Amino acid sequence: MTWVRKRFRASVGALEHVVGGLGTAVLALGTLFWLVIVAILSLVGIGLPAAHDALRALRSVADRERGRLTRWGPPVLEPGPVPAGLKATIKDPFVHRELVWLPLHAVGGFLLGVFGLTIPLYALQDITFPLYYRLLPPDAAPGIVWWRTESMPDALLVALLGLGWVVVAILAGPMFARIQAASGRWLLSPPPGIDLSMRVAELTATRAAALDAHAVELRRIERSLHDGTQNRLVAVNVLLGAARRALQRDPVLADEILGRAQDAAEQALAELRTVVRGILPPVLDDRGLSGALDGLAANCAVPCRVEVDVQSRCAASVEATAYFVVAESLTNVVKHSGATGVTVSVRRERDRLHVDIEDDGRGGADEGQGSGLAGIRRRVEALDGRLTLTSPPGGPTRMLVELPCGL
Amino acid sequence: MRIVIAEDDALLREGLALLLRAEGLEVVATAGNPGDFLVAIDAHQPDVAIVDVRMPPTHTDEGIVAAVEARRRQPGLAVLVLSAYVEQAFANELFSVGATGLGYLLKERVGRVEEFLAALHRVAGGGTAIDPEVVGQLLARTRPDTELSELSPRELGVLELMAEGLGNTAIAERLFVTEGAVHKHIRNIFAKLHLSPDDQADRRVTAVLRYLEK
Repeated sequence: MTWVRKRFRASVGALEHVVGGLGTAVLALGTLFWLVIVAILSLVGIGLPAAHDALRALRSVADRERGRLTRWGPPVLEPGPVPAGLKATIKDPFVHRELVWLPLHAVGGFLLGVFGLTIPLYALQDITFPLYYRLLPPDAAPGIVWWRTESMPDALLVALLGLGWVVVAILAGPMFARIQAASGRWLLSPPPGIDLSMRVAELTATRAAALDAHAVELRRIERSLHDGTQNRLVAVNVLLGAARRALQRDPVLADEILGRAQDAAEQALAELRTVVRGILPPVLDDRGLSGALDGLAANCAVPCRVEVDVQSRCAASVEATAYFVVAESLTNVVKHSGATGVTVSVRRERDRLHVDIEDDGRGGADEGQGSGLAGIRRRVEALDGRLTLTSPPGGPTRMLVELPCGL
Repeated sequence: MRIVIAEDDALLREGLALLLRAEGLEVVATAGNPGDFLVAIDAHQPDVAIVDVRMPPTHTDEGIVAAVEARRRQPGLAVLVLSAYVEQAFANELFSVGATGLGYLLKERVGRVEEFLAALHRVAGGGTAIDPEVVGQLLARTRPDTELSELSPRELGVLELMAEGLGNTAIAERLFVTEGAVHKHIRNIFAKLHLSPDDQADRRVTAVLRYLEK
């Protein structure tokens, strides 16, 4: 039974892939026609100006297929945009491979897609045939039925054929999907030797993003230390100096100044505490994400509801980032949104942590406006996470953050 | 002495004003940002401006820019710049227009009230006040190919104190030597830096500037 269920699920997945592949195949077909026309026009000498654009379209279709294959199986890395200039583009090894792939996918991928889609449709049509055969003339049975369908038994035979199609779909569907993807997996992945350098480039980019987020974080800490703690201590120092001078002349004034100095010292301590908590909140270690976020919600000026559904711990950096994201977002909600309520929900789905923050404020949040949003995005992307923000004018604002758990 | 203070941290701004008023100095206006500061300068025409380097909006060198602008609007205005840390680039920017009536001090010096007041008066009187820390950093970066490298350690020490804005008597006290000895060192410094014997005060300033230009 489990085998059947597994096969069934596999064939539904396969159908999805085949349809997706059919989509890129249609795009490939269009691009193929365009390229052929441009090539012919180029032979006559008037198509060259359009050649670079046509190759760019080719890259964009190929990237679509790469994205599709990556979502489904081992990643097929994207080589980035085509080089500027036609000459460099024609020499590009990726373009060569894409040019071979294009007709293969446009024709083979298209046919496989049509077959793969037709078989389940046949199955559906045939199985349900007994329900509607009376409405059709006896020689108008669907598909490859060659006998006349005049009675219920005839119609049931058609339904049996439909079951046959189901078996074919289950057995052949995944194969169709694999064959359809094969040309892309073979020709759209980087040629051997280039693969590694692309990986290095990709890792370098993520590493740079991580370092950048690190630098931003350091700047934030520096700023809060400077603006808060350091200035407070300077004030303490100034006030102490003033108090010493006043001590002889006017002890009452000296006492008042000392009182102010003490206030400033207390403020310095409070701000230092805030900075320290912001670096890596100790509460994360003690009580986990759930307890830490409850603490944030309790201190939030806007009523905040927190739902955390995380059974096991994530990597410390991931938890710290999730905490930072929520803390920054709540600050934004309080400062900018005018909301009367905000909901934070955190859940873990397999190896990904989803953080969802929604308020009922006035919306219109803009990453360019120096709200902490750019910082949040950098920090999320440094961990290879994803951030989606929707904030139409008039609200509500909703931020979805997805982080790989790292454990 | 009429003073305008520009400092974005409210507590520190009030603390400074309180300290100066308790010393009998006249704080005519305080400002929390460069814009208000320049308005206050135009309105009050003070003798001295005390300016914090980091101010809104970007918290980088707004204070220096505002100080330079204030001196452009009111030539001869004495400016004492306060900074949370030493940044040679800021010092260079500030002193690029000359060193008379200019000071650059670390914020924490304000706590040593007597020295701070002395520096304030020196700057108000057209002198210079450069934080020992700034001077120390500049000295540490002396390149071997400059005229300064010809100075003896003792002469460098004297120049350092000159840069801080001290007069001959004060330098002599600090170095535990006679005023005559200080005078001799200063003559040697001028000679090694090829400063012609015109006006004594001008040469002192030029020597200090030479010192800062590196």
